[in-house]
Amino acid sequence: MAEAMKQTVARMLKGIERYNPDNLPTLQRYVEVQSRENSYDLEANLAVLKLYQFNPLSFNVEITCQILLKALTNLPHTDFILCKCLLNDKQLSQEPINQIVYLADILEQCDFQVFWTRIRTLPELTQSITGFVDSIRKFVCHVVGITYQTIERSHLAQLLGDVDDSTLKLWVKKYGWKEVAGNLIFIANQDENIKTKNINEKIDFENVGAIMASCR
Amino acid sequence: MSKGYSDDYDQGYDYTYDDYGSHTGDPSLDEYNRQHFKMPESVKNFLVYFRNNVNEGLIFELQALYEHTWPKLTEDYFEKRPWPEENEVATIVDNDPVFMILYKELYFRHIYARIQGGPSLEQRFNSFYNYCDLFNYILSAEEPVPLELPDLWLWELIDEFVYQFQSFAQYRARLQSKKEQELETLHSNNKVWNVLCVLNVLHSLVDKSNIKQQLEVYASGGDPDSVSGEFGSHSLYKMLGYFSLVGLLRLHSLLGDYYQAIKVLENIEVHKKSQYAHIPACQISTSYYVGFAYMMMRRYSDAIRTFSSILLYIQRTKQLFASKTYQHDQINKQTDQMYHLLAICLVLHPQCIDESIQQTLREKSYHEKMYKMQYGDLQEFESSFTYACPKFLSPYPPPIDSLPGDYSKDAIQHQTQVFMEEVAQQKMLPTIRSYLKLYTTLPLSKLATFMAQNSRTNEASRDLAKEIQSLVIHLLCFKHKMKNVVWSRGASGLEGKFQSGSELDFYIDNDMIHIADTKVAHRYGDFFIRKIVKFEDLNRKLHQLKL
Repeated sequence: MAEAMKQTVARMLKGIERYNPDNLPTLQRYVEVQSRENSYDLEANLAVLKLYQFNPLSFNVEITCQILLKALTNLPHTDFILCKCLLNDKQLSQEPINQIVYLADILEQCDFQVFWTRIRTLPELTQSITGFVDSIRKFVCHVVGITYQTIERSHLAQLLGDVDDSTLKLWVKKYGWKEVAGNLIFIANQDENIKTKNINEKIDFENVGAIMASCR
Repeated sequence: MSKGYSDDYDQGYDYTYDDYGSHTGDPSLDEYNRQHFKMPESVKNFLVYFRNNVNEGLIFELQALYEHTWPKLTEDYFEKRPWPEENEVATIVDNDPVFMILYKELYFRHIYARIQGGPSLEQRFNSFYNYCDLFNYILSAEEPVPLELPDLWLWELIDEFVYQFQSFAQYRARLQSKKEQELETLHSNNKVWNVLCVLNVLHSLVDKSNIKQQLEVYASGGDPDSVSGEFGSHSLYKMLGYFSLVGLLRLHSLLGDYYQAIKVLENIEVHKKSQYAHIPACQISTSYYVGFAYMMMRRYSDAIRTFSSILLYIQRTKQLFASKTYQHDQINKQTDQMYHLLAICLVLHPQCIDESIQQTLREKSYHEKMYKMQYGDLQEFESSFTYACPKFLSPYPPPIDSLPGDYSKDAIQHQTQVFMEEVAQQKMLPTIRSYLKLYTTLPLSKLATFMAQNSRTNEASRDLAKEIQSLVIHLLCFKHKMKNVVWSRGASGLEGKFQSGSELDFYIDNDMIHIADTKVAHRYGDFFIRKIVKFEDLNRKLHQLKL
């Protein structure tokens, strides 16, 4: 369904048509389809927020929440900031948008433990978004993947939201990580990518050509 | 034209006179001025000559008239008063309709820029209607209109159009000094300076000129004329189309829509020379908004690249602008703003940049600000940001039942807040960076101890496990925030790959941090070359001396 709608929606986003409020119902439905089918179209969602910006009376809290939550599923991309910039202070402080803003804030600070605790107390907030929790785990794995060479097994489980052993194994396998001795998990050989760089001065002939020429 | 004095980047001073708006709009006073001002012969001659040149499409002559004679006459006769009224001029130029539209555009621009008190509501409306006339003339023609104007004029025309919209949006949001009747007029004329109107004009100019297709072909090495169509092959349409893209970039930025801002420039490589990129003011403005949008999207590498490249260009071509004073003011202001933004980006994302740009940032005022920001002075972040950011606006007026007040700052406050939240999320990173810089390997526990030293009060209540735990969170955040999308190639500036572009990087191996720093060797070559050139120069001068 999302695929089918994509074409129709793309036409609605061309040129000045993008600002036509008559398109809002379709675009809003498209947001709901994305939530349900776990697909994502940032540009279409930003167009919805833009229409709210131009037509404040059409502002819809429910749809905005979905757009913001979907933006979180696309971390580490900065989609959430883009959305925030199109909303105003008053809209962002409304319940439950402010809850989502808080979630985004702790995710951006990588305080995953607080995030998981919080999410457990608000199960209804994210339930409309299919695959929300796994999307966040993907983000966790991204951050772990760029930070660690080896990580303690228990720590990883905790970062992923206190997952049980079989779930942990699934994620480890998915990312091609390896369990090694001492209850550790080997992530990647980071010293290949992260090395000290030395920038030395290079003076080539062109740099000094002009001076040489004038030193006759 | 003579725009520099109250341009948009100067919003602090911009509308401070609005409170006195009713005085300058006073019809009896205007009448008085008119009666006591006789149009000088030289102005009369100029207008006739100007009109003839427009009709004959003498581009070089027009360029000189536009760039030099008009500002000169403005200085001589119209420093503090508007140019002659429409009806006075019309009789001199045989009611030439096209020339009158162009004249009125310049006339209003001058009022916006120079007349104390700024434009009255009526003048704002009339200027808008005049733009409608102009764009209708250009856009609704069956075939390309026989009009040719210098590119600089076309750029300033589009730029001014967006500026006047911005100015109106700010004016509309300042409810505190409006009278009943003024509000009434505003509400009953909500189509005037409507955001959709402005978008529509810019989009229509883009579409009419096929500029997007032209740029696409041009970017892939083809001949843009092959897709330009009947209108797009005319310089007037082509350049208006190109400048409208930059106008859209600016407009989207003002509304906080950074995604569209970058997207609209697809197929334009901002820092590359091209046949469209020969108006310095346009290039500079483009880079300013592009760099800013990147900064807001946390694409610091891209922002730093965009700012450094244009600042380098400005450094090298500085003498070029010196003679054109009205452009000079605006360029200077925007340059200073970009140094501020670059300073912010470099504090958040330290990285090597060109030596001569670095040199400027070492100057006292920037250096001090960067130092304060590095030490977590949030106030400094905020004041640098609000000084250097575009003057954001709300696309719709405050609701009819709003209490009297100033709503014009709301949009700026909001964008500032979004930015400051980002800064707050990163607040621990500079401290961590400063410790990591001292080591190549460092155990987590040791760094945790360092970090805790600042906040710990009671030695006995120390909990190392907890300190490590909170340190690890900061380290994850460090890695996350320093790994950003960076553009390398492709038509759209939105594309890119995740990279860690900052100079210090690290990874954690179980409980040990391994640090990789960038070591820059001293650069002697540049220094010596400069000294040698200087020495030779001196030598030459000495030889020329005749005693």
